[in-house]
Amino acid sequence: MAFFEQDIHDAPTTFLSKYVFSFDHKVIAKQFLWYGIAFLGIGGMMAILIRWTLAFPGEAFPILGPLLFPGNNGVVPPDTYAMLFTLHGTIMIFYAITPILIGAFGNYCIPLMIGARDMVFPTLNMLSFWLAVLSAILLLASLFTPLGGAAGGWTSYPTLSTLIGSAGVGQTLWCLALFVLGVSSTMGAVNYIATIITLRAPGMGYFDMPLTIWGLWLTAILNAIFLPVLGAGLLLLTFDRVFGTTFFLAGAAATSGSGDPVLFQHVFWIFGHPEVYILILPAWGIVSDLLSFFARKPAFGAKGTALAMTSITILSTLVYGHHMYSTQMSPLLTQSFMMLTMTISIPSAVFFANWLGTIWKGSIRFDTPMLFSLGVVFVFGLGGLTGLYLATVTTDLYLHDTYFVVGHFHYTMAASVLLGGFAGTYFWFPKMYGRMMNERLGKIHFWISMVGLNGIFMGMMVIGHAGMHRRIYNPFVYEFLKDLVPLNMFITISALTMGVGQLFFVYNFIHSMYKGPIATQNPWEVGTLEWTIPSPAPHYNFKDIPVVRCGPHEFGNPNLVGKDFQYQTEELVKA
Amino acid sequence: MAHVQTQTIAQAKEGDKIISSVAMIVTLVSFGMLFLTLMMAFALFRFTQAVWPPAGMSRPDLLLPTISTLLIAISSATYIYFEKNIYKGKAHKNSLALTTLLGIGFMVSQFLFWNHLKAQGIFASSGIFPSIIYAFTWIHAAHIVAGLGLLMWLYGTLKTPDSMTAVKVSNIGKFWHFLGIVWLIMFVTIFVL
Repeated sequence: MAFFEQDIHDAPTTFLSKYVFSFDHKVIAKQFLWYGIAFLGIGGMMAILIRWTLAFPGEAFPILGPLLFPGNNGVVPPDTYAMLFTLHGTIMIFYAITPILIGAFGNYCIPLMIGARDMVFPTLNMLSFWLAVLSAILLLASLFTPLGGAAGGWTSYPTLSTLIGSAGVGQTLWCLALFVLGVSSTMGAVNYIATIITLRAPGMGYFDMPLTIWGLWLTAILNAIFLPVLGAGLLLLTFDRVFGTTFFLAGAAATSGSGDPVLFQHVFWIFGHPEVYILILPAWGIVSDLLSFFARKPAFGAKGTALAMTSITILSTLVYGHHMYSTQMSPLLTQSFMMLTMTISIPSAVFFANWLGTIWKGSIRFDTPMLFSLGVVFVFGLGGLTGLYLATVTTDLYLHDTYFVVGHFHYTMAASVLLGGFAGTYFWFPKMYGRMMNERLGKIHFWISMVGLNGIFMGMMVIGHAGMHRRIYNPFVYEFLKDLVPLNMFITISALTMGVGQLFFVYNFIHSMYKGPIATQNPWEVGTLEWTIPSPAPHYNFKDIPVVRCGPHEFGNPNLVGKDFQYQTEELVKA
Repeated sequence: MAHVQTQTIAQAKEGDKIISSVAMIVTLVSFGMLFLTLMMAFALFRFTQAVWPPAGMSRPDLLLPTISTLLIAISSATYIYFEKNIYKGKAHKNSLALTTLLGIGFMVSQFLFWNHLKAQGIFASSGIFPSIIYAFTWIHAAHIVAGLGLLMWLYGTLKTPDSMTAVKVSNIGKFWHFLGIVWLIMFVTIFVL
């Protein structure tokens, strides 16, 4: 229920107040979207460099190689390789996926879908974006320091990340950059939670919210609770590096007293496992909604889906130990963590079944957003199932730190989240820019991405199962991995294919912003609140705050005449 | 004039009150998790060492930390007094000023404590126990500085009270008391036990 109605402010007039330091949630959302897409490009480029090194060890990277690494004949040097996989992970997780899914869709969808004029704290919202920019500057600046950027892996385990393992200032800047980004995300989370609790349109109970909002809300809650945990770890790591404290130094590494390197792993994963769900929950929410919207059927068991997502949110806080089976944890603990992790399969199965129930016998419209949503169902299924082998202690001890792990978390965190993000982008683009994206290009983009990413990540699982370790510069110096060169070449070619596929998206996005066909108010014929207002949404969103009278997925009601959906502002049609 | 003040301070829109309280509670949960993580680290070191304090170190003198505890406790009490009066419509500026001064006094006692440790040759790099003492008090002190900034800002806004004044007072109060509680927990666990 809305506790109060926000005033309509005058539209900003100057360029700075309109596009740069904007208080408008829709502009901030677009800023986050561009920020995320830019970093997706940078992170993707890094992935290509990594893949090239693994498929063609010792060969110069074409065209860019001689420019980037002139001292090494264009071949990626080993220390740079470590930097590349570290920053690829960091950038993709914190600077690409998070801004797109949470920053962009969170900001864009929350006020529009709950019928509010803006976030409750517009200034905090703007501050959140500019802190994210500051963080990006810190991270990119680390690349230009004497010993280069962070190279201890995205998890930055001590002692790799202490002064012993990485002496340069790059790792310190990495810690600071992530700390600042954490503050920025926490600000966003406070804003999202308060907005959803207090600004829902009159008549909108929690179960009348679209599932997208459920996903974003649960994400915000996890963010608010667990980002500070990483923050504390990063602060202590920074103190270790700058002020000489000994929290994470032990044995010969500690000149006096004794800390505990494994402590950082605990702190990191207490944050890190919820982080996995922080990334995937918005995508789940978006997909749950889109499947219903394009199958023209009510979301099957929508309440169950919302509750399943809530139980996963709670369970996700209790399973972090499964990242640390190989740290000589007590078997009592590993078995408890294994059991808790397996328990997550139950709610996952519930909403997965609900997804299938939603599309079952629907009159499906295969528009681009739907293709991407179905893609998420497929890749998330694979990602989720392969997780079982890693949750099981006995198999994990063999698979730990192999490419099987890399394949698994890319299926869940990269493939599913990325496809979910694309689905959302294609879906809300008309409301954002008032123009439609090109369907044909969108479909080409989908199929190339789908084939490409399955080639990459399926291949990774195979080489991982064959024993290839992650984070090794040249695995083929080992006799038993020599036969994996052709498979690695296949993965790299898949990666290049996928990279090329993204050019279709970039072209489509930019071209459609200016030249796309003008979008109608409701091009997808969907009933949620953002489609009751003109495209693009006016700066005050709703002239009159809407009153919600039915759920978000009212499709195919046999009592409807002339159309197959109804708006949330309409009374449910009865016979 | 005083009467007009009474009216505006007490009136706050119900919506604004709820929004600010929700946001403040979420914020405090976030801050709470930060300090909870630090305490978890402390607990891990405390319980895995055979002898505490480790490496032949003696416990730091309790005098200055005790003074800090008293200062911050009294500052919370004066703030409660100030807050009660605000709800009655009276802005007792002096009790807010006292809270701020006591907060500054807390910072002074922390600086004296750090200097005292240094004079004894105990530095942040002298082992795990000094690491904990320095790092945790630094992080807490940084929050106290932010809290002091908020208190001073609040003092400034009292000149022109509006419908949000009571909400600001209550939320800044929550933050200040929170920092007091965190200090109390740190004092008992790290210094006394």
